[in-house]
Order: sequence, then C-alpha cells, then structure tokens
Amino acid sequence: MHDLLDSYYPILIFMGLSAVITAALLLVPALVAPSNPDPEKNAPYECGFEAFDDARMKFDVKFYLVAILFIIFDLEVAFLFPWAVAFGDVGLFGFWSMMFFLAVLTVGFAYEWRKGALDWD
Amino acid sequence: MLQNLTLILPEMILFLGAMGLLMIGAFSKGDSTRTVNLGAIAILALAAATAGSFANNAQATAFNGAFVMDSFAALMKVLTFVATGIAIIMSQGYMRLEKLARFEYPVLLLLAAAGMGMMISANDLIALYMGIELQSLALYVVAAINRDSLRSTEAGLKYFVLGALSSGMLLYGASLIYGFSGSTNFVEIAAAFQPQDGILPMAQVLGLVFLLAGLAFKISAVPFHMWTPDVYEGAPTSVTAFFASAPKLAGMAIFLRIMMTGFENALVAWQQIIILLAILSMVLGAFAAIGQQNIKRLMAYSSIGHMGFALVGFAAASAAGVSSVILYMTLYVVMTLGTFACILSMRQDSGPVERISDLAGLSQTRPFMAFCLAVMMFSLAGIPPMAGFFGKLFVFRAAIDAGLYSLSIIGVLASVVGAFYYLRIVKVMYLDAPADEVNEPMPRELSILAGVMTAFTLLFFVYPSPLVELADKAGAVLMQDGMVATDMLQEHLAGH
Amino acid sequence: MGTYHAIVFFPLIGAAIAGLFGRLIGDRQAEYVTTGLLILSALLSCISLINIGMDGGTQKIMVLNWISSGGLDIDWVLRIDALTAVMLVVITCVSSLVHVYSIGYMSHDPHRARFFAYLSLFTFMMLMLVTADNFLQLFFGWEGVGLASYLLIGFWFKKASANAAAIKAFVVNRVGDFGLILGMAAIYFSVGSLQFDTVFDSAEALAQGEFDFLGMTVPMLTTICLLLFMGAMGKSAQFLLHTWLPDAMEGPTPVSALIHAATMVTAGVFLVARCSPLFELSQTALNVVIVVGGITAFFAATVGLVQNDIKRVIAYSTCSQLGYMFVALGIGAYQAAMFHLFTHAFFKALLFLGAGSVIHAMGDEQDMRKMGGLRQLIPATFFMMLIGTIALTGFPLTAGYYSKDAIIEGAFAAQAAPHMFGFAMLVIAAFFTSFYSWRLMFMTFFGVSRSSNETLSHVHESPPVMLVPLVVLSFGALFAGAAFAGLFVGSEQTAFWAGSIFTAADNQILIELKQVPGWVVLSPLVMMISGFALAWVMYIYRPSWPSEIAAQHDLIYRFLLNKWYFDELYDFIFVRPAKWLARFFWKGGDGFVIDGFGPDGVAANVLRVTRRMVGLQSGYVYHYAFVMLLGVAGIVSWLMLTGGLS
Repeated sequence: MHDLLDSYYPILIFMGLSAVITAALLLVPALVAPSNPDPEKNAPYECGFEAFDDARMKFDVKFYLVAILFIIFDLEVAFLFPWAVAFGDVGLFGFWSMMFFLAVLTVGFAYEWRKGALDWD
Repeated sequence: MLQNLTLILPEMILFLGAMGLLMIGAFSKGDSTRTVNLGAIAILALAAATAGSFANNAQATAFNGAFVMDSFAALMKVLTFVATGIAIIMSQGYMRLEKLARFEYPVLLLLAAAGMGMMISANDLIALYMGIELQSLALYVVAAINRDSLRSTEAGLKYFVLGALSSGMLLYGASLIYGFSGSTNFVEIAAAFQPQDGILPMAQVLGLVFLLAGLAFKISAVPFHMWTPDVYEGAPTSVTAFFASAPKLAGMAIFLRIMMTGFENALVAWQQIIILLAILSMVLGAFAAIGQQNIKRLMAYSSIGHMGFALVGFAAASAAGVSSVILYMTLYVVMTLGTFACILSMRQDSGPVERISDLAGLSQTRPFMAFCLAVMMFSLAGIPPMAGFFGKLFVFRAAIDAGLYSLSIIGVLASVVGAFYYLRIVKVMYLDAPADEVNEPMPRELSILAGVMTAFTLLFFVYPSPLVELADKAGAVLMQDGMVATDMLQEHLAGH
Repeated sequence: MGTYHAIVFFPLIGAAIAGLFGRLIGDRQAEYVTTGLLILSALLSCISLINIGMDGGTQKIMVLNWISSGGLDIDWVLRIDALTAVMLVVITCVSSLVHVYSIGYMSHDPHRARFFAYLSLFTFMMLMLVTADNFLQLFFGWEGVGLASYLLIGFWFKKASANAAAIKAFVVNRVGDFGLILGMAAIYFSVGSLQFDTVFDSAEALAQGEFDFLGMTVPMLTTICLLLFMGAMGKSAQFLLHTWLPDAMEGPTPVSALIHAATMVTAGVFLVARCSPLFELSQTALNVVIVVGGITAFFAATVGLVQNDIKRVIAYSTCSQLGYMFVALGIGAYQAAMFHLFTHAFFKALLFLGAGSVIHAMGDEQDMRKMGGLRQLIPATFFMMLIGTIALTGFPLTAGYYSKDAIIEGAFAAQAAPHMFGFAMLVIAAFFTSFYSWRLMFMTFFGVSRSSNETLSHVHESPPVMLVPLVVLSFGALFAGAAFAGLFVGSEQTAFWAGSIFTAADNQILIELKQVPGWVVLSPLVMMISGFALAWVMYIYRPSWPSEIAAQHDLIYRFLLNKWYFDELYDFIFVRPAKWLARFFWKGGDGFVIDGFGPDGVAANVLRVTRRMVGLQSGYVYHYAFVMLLGVAGIVSWLMLTGGLS
C-alpha cells in the first residue's frame, strides 16, 4: 500500500506546484503591475469588444471560424519546426512527405478561400 | 517505398481524387455538383477495381507492418467502395429535391471511403485510429449536411460528441494495450495478450474492453448504439442510407481483423463480450423497432439488430464464423441499400414522407416499389428463399458448430420478434387501404437500383456459390493470418 | 367390378353427385340420381341374398390394399356371407324406400340435395360397416355412420335443439366408440391382426389368455368382448348409453326410420353377431349382454308408456326392441337376434314412416295429445300404421310374432345364469310394448280430434310417393317373418348361415326353444292381448283414466315421463363437471396460462419491453454517453464476476 502511494508522490508534487504557480500568476500582477488607465487604453478593441468586460459574453460566430482556421496553420508550423530542425536526417522521403502535407493544406486553404471563409462578410 | 504506395493505391486514388474534385468544385463556375458526383462515382469505381485487383494476391504489408493488404481487405474494400458509390448515386435526386445538392457531399464521402479503406487495412493501432478518425470526421459533417435543419444539425452534433467519447475510449484502450504489449502492431500485441491458465490480467482486459467499446460504437452494437436512431432519423435520408451501409462494413471488417489477429489468444475474454453485444443488439433491435412509426428510425433499429446477428457469427471465432460474417454483412448492405432506394422514393409533392403509415396501400398505387420493398422486408426478416435467410443460416450454423447453442436460440427467437415489424410493413403496403401519401413517381436511378437489389435478394439462392466462396476465402485469410501470428508466438516462446 | 362393388359403391356415387354437384344439377335431379342408384343397389342385394341363400359360404372381394405399415397390413376387402347379405338387404331396401319416401316428405325443404347426399352417404357407410372383413374396416363404417347420423340429426341446423341432439348423439356414441377402439387395440395387441378370420381362429387361444392390467389379471377374451360390447351399446342405444336415441328424433322422420330404427342402431347387434366366435367362448360377456339387453327392453318400454311425442314413443320402442335383440345374442341365439333385426327393420321403418306421414298430414305436429280421430282423415296411413303395430306387438303370423316369440322362448330355454331375468324382462316388456303401441294408435287415430279446426282443415293423405314405400314395408312387416323364419331360425338355418354365425357345439338354443312349455309359448300372446285391452280401456273406454292415474301416481308418472331422470343424472355427473372442467381450462388454462404467458402475453410483453426500450432513447446526449459508460462498466464488472480476469 505504501509503495503504491509512493508511486503517486510525483503527482502530488505536480499538483502542489500547479496550485502555487496559478496562485502566483493571479496575485503577482495585481500587486506589482503598474495600473495607469487612460481613455485610449480603455477604448474598445477594433473588433468591437470592450477592453475590460466579462469574458463570458456573446460574440460573433465568425470569430470561431477564424480561430479554427488559424489553429490549422498554427499546427502546420508546429509540424514544420521539428521537420526543419531534422531536415538533414529525414532525407528525400521526409522532404516529399512534408511537401505532400503542405500540398494538402494548400488545397484546403484554396478551398476555404474560394468559399469565402476568409471574407468577414 | 514503391510497395508501400502500391498497397495503398486504392486509398491514394480516393484521396487524390477527393482533393482534385474539391478543387474542381471550388474553382468551377456555376453548379459543379453533378460533375463532382459523377467524378466521385468514377473514382470510387476505380478505387474498387484497384482494390479488387489485390483479391488474389498473398498477404502483404506496408509502412512497417502498419498497413496490410490481403484478400479479406480487398473484398471488404470493394464492397465498401461500391456501397459508397451506390450511396452517392442514390443521393443525387434526393439532394437536389431537398436543395442540399453540394459538391462537398461526394468529396466528403470519398474521404470517408478513404478512411474506411484505411480502417479495413489497418494492422496497427495508430493506423486503425487514423482510419477511424478520417472516416468519422467526414461522417460527422455529412450527418449535419442539412445545416438549416434543426434535426440534421442535432444529429451531427450528437454523433460528433458521442463519437468523440467513443474515440476517447478507443484511445484509452489502445494506450493500455500499448502499455502492456509495448507495441501498437497487431501481431506483436497478439504475442503479448496471452492468457495465463485461461485468465487474462485485469488491466489487459480493461484495455481490450475500452477498445471494443470504441469499435462497437462504429458498428452501433448495443449498448454503444444510442446515437444510431437519432442520427438515422435526423440526417437526410440519403445520408442515412450511406450510414447504414458502408461504415458498417468497414467497422465490422476492422473489428474482425483486430480481434482475429491482435487478440486471437485472448479469445476467452472477448468472445464473451461479443456474445453479450450480439444478444443485446439482437434483442434490442427486435423489440425497440416494433414501437417505431418512422421508417428511418425503424431501419436504425433494424441495423442494430442485424449487427447483432453478424456478431453471432463473429462470436463463433472460426473461419466459418468469419466468412459467415462477411457474407452476412454483404447481404445486409445489399438489402439495406435496396430498402433505402425505396425509402428515398417515398415522396409527395410537398417533400419526403417517412412514416410507415404513409406506405398504406402502396401495392395498389406503386406496385413495383411495393414489391421491391416487400422482398427486402422478407429478406431482412430472414424468410427463405430470400438472401437474408442464407445470411442468418450461415451465421447460426457457424455459431452452432462452435457450440454456442443458447446464443443461436436467442438469435432465432429475436429474429422471430423482428419478423413482426418487417412483416408489418408488408401488411401495411399490401392489406391496408391506400393512403395516397406516396404519390411521386419513383426516380429512374432508384427504381433501377431497387430492381437490381431486389433481383439479387430474390435470386441469390439460385447461384450463391461465387459470393460464398469469396467470403470463405476472405475468412480463411483472416484466420490464416491468425495462425501466422500463432506461429510467431511459438517462435517467440521458444526463443526464451 | 362385380355385383358387390355395385351394391356398395352406388350409394357413394349418388352421395358424391348429390353432395358435390347438387347445386349444379338441382334438387330434383339429385333426388332421382341417389334414389335410382339405391334402388339398383337394393335389387342387386336381394339377388345376392338369394344367391347366398342357395350357395352359402363366404365370398371375399378385394378392393385395394388399404394400409401397409410395419406389421399392420390391412386390405380393403368386401366380405360377403349370409350375415352380410341379410344386412345388405335390410340396409339397401329400407334405404331405397326411405329415399323414395323422402322425395315426398322433404318436398318443401330447400336443401334436398344435401339431405339426399347425406342419406346416400349414410347408406354407403353402413354398407362399409357390414361388408367389413376386418375390425378397422368395420370401424371406418362405424364412424362413418356416426358422422352421417350426426349430420342428419342436425340437418335442420338452424334449430338449436337439433344441433344439441346431434352433438349429444355424437358424444354419447363416442363413449361407446372408445370401448370399441380399446377392444380393437386389445385384439391387435393380443392377436397381432385385425382380420376377422385370423382373430376368430385364435379365439380359443384368447379364451385361455389373460391381460395384466394395473396389477390385476383379467381374462383376455372376456375383456375384449366386453369392450366390443361397449361399442355396441353406444351404437345400439343400450341402457346407460341410450340417452341420445330419443333426442335423435330431432332429425327428419325418414332419417329416424332409416338410421334410428332399421339400420344404424342395429350395428351393435351386427357387431356382436359378427363376433359370435368370440362371444360364444365368453359366458361372462354373454351374461352381461343378457342383463343389459333385458334392462334396456324393460326400461325403454316403461318410458315409452307415457311419452306424448309420437316419434319418441317409437324411438323408445326401438330402444326396447334392440334390448330384445341383445337378449337373443346373450343367450346364444344370434340367428334369432338377426331375425328380429330383419323383421324389426320392416315394421319399425313402417311405423316411423307412418308416423312421418301423420306428422306430414298434421302440419309438423308431433304431440299425440293434439291428435285423435285421424282414422277417417288419413285412412291409408292409418291402415299402414295398424299393420306396423300388430307386427310390432307380435300379432300371430305377422313378422314380429315369429322373431319376438323366438327370442322370448329362447330366453326361457337358455342355460345362461341370468336367462330367467331376461325372460321376465322381455315378457313384461312385451306387455308394455303392446300397451304403448295401441296407446299410440288410439291417441292418434281414434276418439275425437283434439287439434284445432284450422289444422284439421289442412289434414290430407300423403302423396303416393310416400304411401308406396309404406305399402312395400307393410308387406315386409306382415310376411317377412313367416317367409324367412325357416331360413333364419328354423330347420334350414345351418345351411343358410353357413358358418357366418358361430355357435358352440353345446349351443342348441334354436332347437331347445321349440321345446319350451306351452305357457311360455303363450305368454307373449297373452301379454299382447292384455296390453291391447288395457290400452283400449284407458284410451277408448275411459279416456279420463290416464290423467287420473297419472295424478294419483304422480311420482312414478313423472319418473317415467322424465325417462328415469337419466338426462338429469348425466347432466349432473358428466356434463356439468365436464363443462366446469372445460371452463376451467378455457378461463384458467387457455385464458390465463396460454393467453397470459403464450401468444397474447408474449405480444403484450413485447409491447411493454418495446415501450421501455424506446423510452431509453431520451434524445439527451448525456444519457447516451451515460449508457455507453454503463456498458463499459457493466462489461468489465461482468468479466470480473465471471472470472474472465484476475
């Protein structure tokens, strides 16, 4: 029984750490950050959101679309980084694999462009 | 490398075809739906032909054993692709009339077919997951393709949420399995999943159960069936027709492959689960369908029940059992597509009708359609000499040969209960006073398809041997593959 | 195809034509076809009787191999010997006369084709019965006549009482048939064959044999004989199984004449006579036959005394006369029994048809209390009925005189233990017979009319088509006795029967009955005269007496009027418990168990299960997810519980 609990000891440490970090991230800015509001800072963002407002608010569903499309290309870059780092080792097979991947993504990009998913209106 | 690409040629054709059609659809001026539809059908035909060309080849693997191509895979792929193609053909008229005609639909079906091809050939947990997800993501979208309909979007959403849950279960199971076997390859998993004194360690069983749950969701076996009625009812009928056919084939194929190869030694554990799933599916399919008024919902329960019957042959865990499942699934797909060809023809001026009572007196107003539907119903009920009877005969014979008597008896009883609701439809069509609800003529392509399926169902008994032989061959491959795994295992043990 | 084929199959052909094509060819044609074929059959029968009477011996005519199954090999063979020939004549003659008579009697009925089809079918079945060469063939005919009897009693199926009577006849006969089946089974069990000759040849062995039954040891032959006799009792309406016969009068009167007087009811007599080689070796069985016959003769006669329905009186008379025949069988005088059967067929058919003529004339009135004084109105019928009555009562030189007196004398002369009981019963019954017969005559034809003037104004003599059969029968009633006494029971009997009736070596009853004391010979005559005298006094001289006596002896009167309360007794003992049991099985067995747990219950439960399963489909995603997780948890727990994992 003791052994079993022992094996979960690292998890306990991680839980404690996460609690500490979370608390610190909430507390430290409130204590040390400078707070100099002026009318420009308090003005709404270009997208129309208030700068200081409840996060749980309704907003246009088109933001989701943008976010999702962004994520895809974000991931693409996330794949590209390790590939670029290991470019010397992956060889021709690795090169063409990535080219195919990029081509597929390009097809998707072309489709969404043509469908007007990137137009705001 | 070349061999790798050769073996995945069917999937490559589908995938590249899908890309190409997507571009055609995106860049063409005006409505390209018809072109894309035809292109998709052609691509599916090509993919089926390519897959079929592997039918007589020996088993070969690609991508370090992650992908396998053998005559089982070839047969199942041909059936899946053909079923997908038929689903596209059947959808055209319906989608046009329902103002759902979009070129994305055939593209999505192509992608789903590619995913199904992947599933069927998967020989590795990662390949399996990739195939399942590729298929599922496409299916989630097509379920909600009628995005202006509350029911269709609800169906899509439900399917997506529950599908995600099942994927989670599958992944959890897969991770446990990987944890215990140290490999994701089925052959190596088989070596690790070895019962000691007929007992499998609990954690291994846990992994197996979760994996099974994820797969059972795909073939909608009870108790992982809950999405089926709602999705079948909510999705556009042509999508339902597709859902009821090709994905079931592919799901059953991968289910068979993983159990017969990856867990062939863990038979003691999974056989009971399969028996349980089979009984629950047959019973629920039989009973719940009785209460349905909507024919699509009825077909949902019908397909649940039929998955139960197929699982009866599965539970036999023998070469005969596997080939009986293949045969059963083939006949099931034919009957389902034939039935949906009729259901898709249930229209009046104002739109489609889906209630069983709308079929009243159909024999007088639309004799051909009523006859086709009646033949399908008799066949689904398993009444000789229709094809459905032979499907049941083979699975029950396999089960009895394997000593699963009570399972067979429950199955026969469930089929008796099930016969009630099939025959009720026949009764409504032939004995009730005409309701004149279905008054639009049957579209030409649907009547041709329904006629072909009906003829096949009706005349299967005249010359069944080609299909039975194909199924036997495919089943033997799967079991032989298992034997190969057994040999490897023995070498492995001898080495220690 | 020979003569015998023709005799036997003509009625069947007629029945088929009338029954299947009756609507097509019309009633009139159906009548002609059936009647014509039967007359042909009757003529051929008479010829064959003459042939048999001259040649003697037994002919066997193969029809076809009927059943061949394992050890059971049964041929359909027509067995023609003297016994059969006598029956053939009786059946076909009476039947053809009844057919002719029915053309007139049934002329107003809308379903005549069906009626004639039934009549001919009955005749065929009766011929099957008497031409049988084995017990199974006999049984076929036996059940066939039962069926035809059922159909004909219930011919007017819109009448509830007719249906009830038909069912009663069928069910009561079934009791007797049960005995017959058991007897046949016992025979097959012990002999291994149902063929008459084979069985009779092993009679000696059977007499030695014994059955082990429920730990009891019972003599084989006696058991078989008693079981067969049980069948005979049912068919011939003997005491305890007699209740159906009076009710069977619900059928049309020609049917009563043919089936319930002349032919079918005598099948039991025929069966015992046919099985004489068996009965002759079992004194116990014969004693039972005497006692049952005696009781029946007496009992039925007493009931006949007070009945008011003209047909019922004759029905009870038939019952009583059948008792005579059984007594004759019991004392070993099979020939006398067959002789009485023969003569009785004529005068009883005559009486029935005469009664039918009366009923016809009175516009379907059967109650004698509403008749009277019909002598002048329908003289021909009266005359025929008079002949029938004197023949029945045994007036010297008429048919009944020869046959009945032979039986009474035989009963006295016999050695069997209960022979004096039988004798006493028969003599008393003879008195009663005379009384009720003359009572019938006096109430119907003499005195003043008690019916309404309107009815009287319609009274008319029957048409010739009905009278001619009466005339023919009255000839038989008058002269059949004198003409055939020598052949049947007299000096030529051995040659005539030619072994078709077996009598033991020491059975000399037919000779001994000639040597009885004079008072015995005279006793039937005395009884007949005193019966006549009493009837005359009570119904002509002092018509007020009957009601006075009935009032004084109310208990006895009602006892007799209600037929010894047999119907009520059976209703109490059998019918009500059976109905109760049936109700129990209906409500409890079928309604509760079968319907509750069988088809209806399953169907109802299917719906309930369905509703519950459909109810599971709530539409909420979290329910669905919950079910999936439950499924996984359930499977894991199940595997743990069943030991699938460690």
